[in-house]
Amino acid sequence: MRRASAIQKESQQIGTVGDLTGVFESIASTKVAKIKNKVELSKEFFELLWKRYSSIRIDPRTRITHIDDKEINPKKVFVIISAEAGLSGDIDQRLIETMLRDYDSSNTDIVVLGTHGANQLKQGGIPYKRYFQVPTSDDYVDVSPVIEAIINYSKITVYYEEYISLGVQGIKKLDLHSRIREMSEKADEGEEIMTADDTIFEPSLEEIAEIMEIAMMNLAFSQAILESGLAQDASRFNAMATAKKRAWELMNYYSLDFHRAKRSENDRRSREVMVGLKRKKRQRLAENG
Amino acid sequence: MKHQKDDTQLRVIARAPFQVYYEGQARIVTASNRIGRFDILPGHADFFSVIIGGDVAIQTDTETITFPTTGGVVGVRGDEVMLFVNM
Repeated sequence: MRRASAIQKESQQIGTVGDLTGVFESIASTKVAKIKNKVELSKEFFELLWKRYSSIRIDPRTRITHIDDKEINPKKVFVIISAEAGLSGDIDQRLIETMLRDYDSSNTDIVVLGTHGANQLKQGGIPYKRYFQVPTSDDYVDVSPVIEAIINYSKITVYYEEYISLGVQGIKKLDLHSRIREMSEKADEGEEIMTADDTIFEPSLEEIAEIMEIAMMNLAFSQAILESGLAQDASRFNAMATAKKRAWELMNYYSLDFHRAKRSENDRRSREVMVGLKRKKRQRLAENG
Repeated sequence: MKHQKDDTQLRVIARAPFQVYYEGQARIVTASNRIGRFDILPGHADFFSVIIGGDVAIQTDTETITFPTTGGVVGVRGDEVMLFVNM
């Protein structure tokens, strides 16, 4: 049996791991709350932007799906939004497995966001066309370099991790153009059309509409990135919660082991004392007798 | 009491995708487009403009709220001003 002092030392180390995972768990939980708030704000922003946009377009839904028709790439593009760091459970693995079920290398390019996903693709020998870091900041998500890289593909499918609840995260795929249509359906309709007859457009209606369309495309993509971040943080939270639970289970085990070892050491000492006393008694009897 | 429209005030919404800069009534909104700096006051013509990077100022009865932008779009309709910035 191991010595009680060695078990106590290991138990303290496990306790520190347990405390650390507790800290990570609470960081992940705070991040989840913060991202949820950002997702809500961006949805409101989109609805307001759509309200103004729809007032300057006669048929906005037809137009927004045909941004830059001139240089359409006949191939499809799959965009994977993975985690930038590890410690996010198995969710990135599930994401790539889902994407691979639809993947045909002859007509599809892959664009990957996040180091974790890029590494997993490399390990699996799956080529990707472009890699981007997951764009994020406290104020806004700048997705314009990614949009620029994918805008001319005939079909853009985004694979990302979906936050369902703190305990459940799924994998979602979306067609970016359809997403804009879906989002616009939730926005307020019925705005009166503004035309050049009654409104001043500076520099021109075309340029303003294009800026708004690109902004909406960015926003739809940013929302996928945010939702993905939310799912990754929730997955991280779960991984940490499991690790914390395991640490406390180990602590209980070590505590039992420690007490057993301590009792065994005490028993051994008692036996040694008893043996010593008996030996002394025998010696005394021998001397007297 | 029935709420009456105040002709001396604009209704302003100034937002970035993940941030609300201001929502409420204001007297003057100042921003810049390619032509230069411009003010929007109550009674302004319906107007849509691309705004360039720089400070946007919203003057209310009690204070002036200023925030930096990298650009965006402003739409004025009636006395409602919507600023979409940092998109």
